[in-house]
Amino acid sequence: TNLCHVVFSEREKWTFVGSLKEVCRSAMEFGEESSPALAFEKDVFELTVEDVYDISYVIGRDLLKIRCKGEEVSDLQFKIVRVLEMFESLVTKYNLSIEELKMERDNLKGELDRILAERSSGQDTQTPGPNQMVVDLTDPNRPRFTMQELKEVLQERNQLKAQLMVAQEELQLFKSGILPQAEPPLVEVDLETPESTEHNSAKISEMKEERTAIGKLFSFKRK
Amino acid sequence: MAKKTYDLLFKLLLIGDSGVGKTCVLFRFSDDAFNTTFISTIGIDFKIKTVELQGKKIKLQIWDTAGQERFHTITTSYYRGAMGIMLVYDITNAKSFENISKWLRNIDEHANEDVERMLLGNKCDMEDKRVVPKAKGEQIAREHGIRFFETSAKANINIEKAFLTLAEDILRKTPVKEPNSENVDISSGSGVTGWKSKCCS
Repeated sequence: TNLCHVVFSEREKWTFVGSLKEVCRSAMEFGEESSPALAFEKDVFELTVEDVYDISYVIGRDLLKIRCKGEEVSDLQFKIVRVLEMFESLVTKYNLSIEELKMERDNLKGELDRILAERSSGQDTQTPGPNQMVVDLTDPNRPRFTMQELKEVLQERNQLKAQLMVAQEELQLFKSGILPQAEPPLVEVDLETPESTEHNSAKISEMKEERTAIGKLFSFKRK
Repeated sequence: MAKKTYDLLFKLLLIGDSGVGKTCVLFRFSDDAFNTTFISTIGIDFKIKTVELQGKKIKLQIWDTAGQERFHTITTSYYRGAMGIMLVYDITNAKSFENISKWLRNIDEHANEDVERMLLGNKCDMEDKRVVPKAKGEQIAREHGIRFFETSAKANINIEKAFLTLAEDILRKTPVKEPNSENVDISSGSGVTGWKSKCCS
């Protein structure tokens, strides 16, 4: 009797945990096999916790029919109740996880849409700022030296230009006869040539021996 | 050993916005020529012109700077050695006139304190496109206590006058010394040293 009392209280539990709606409908249909049993035919992955309660209700009702038939049966009843509880937990957890994942997915979708809209509307953010530029790496005339390298090249160019001017000036003096012939000339120059080509080439070959900034930057071109 | 070809060396500097005609002003003065094609100056360049003032041969080494902002670091390193600076704007370009104060600030920051300054309003041959009245140029020059000329490199107006006046102003405050005094050797990695070592033995 003691055992039967326990079983009875379990039955009560199945009855009360079952959704009120299902209970009412069952009562109205006079206990006929009806909607609660349909839960058995549902797709496993579409089961809700209410379906679990329907299943519990049906199993509980069937167990009532065979109650007090022996100790083995009541043992089995406890096990069934336990399995149904596990089932309840699993279905609840599963449905919650699905819900969470759906929310997560919707959030990410919204974020993606927002970023895409921002990108298509705000094209300006892609264009370089006032102190930036886009470099086409396939363009042979692209800028490729640093400002420091440019500074060195310009300084050297200006130095060479100044030296050339000095040389041209001296040549002019030699030609005009201002400088006395006795004094040894700075550089061997053919005074008959109208242009100071020899003079220049002598200077240039001198330059080549130094490791100049220009030489460093452009040496690959001579190969 | 070689007889020196000048008595004094003055180092001048041209600054101002890109496209106002600094290179053309210089080209007119040094070569008496004018070219309409616009080739932006890369960084810094120079030309030489020897003039005679008060019986002295004065060699002018005139540095021509790029007006573009991206060359700023290169061009400002040349301010220090300049004895005279010409600030050029374009009378047909209001922006180049508005930027005068910016260029004057650059001078204050980077040039010697006693540098001789001059303001030039270039392209004065283009009267139909003028947007900066001559009076405005004169006013800002007066406010800063500097000389002012309207010039045209194309029509050769006031170019030589501007350079000679600037050179005279520098000459006036140059102490009477031998030409190899240290205020001549002002090159900071520039090409001036070549002449000095050879011409003053």
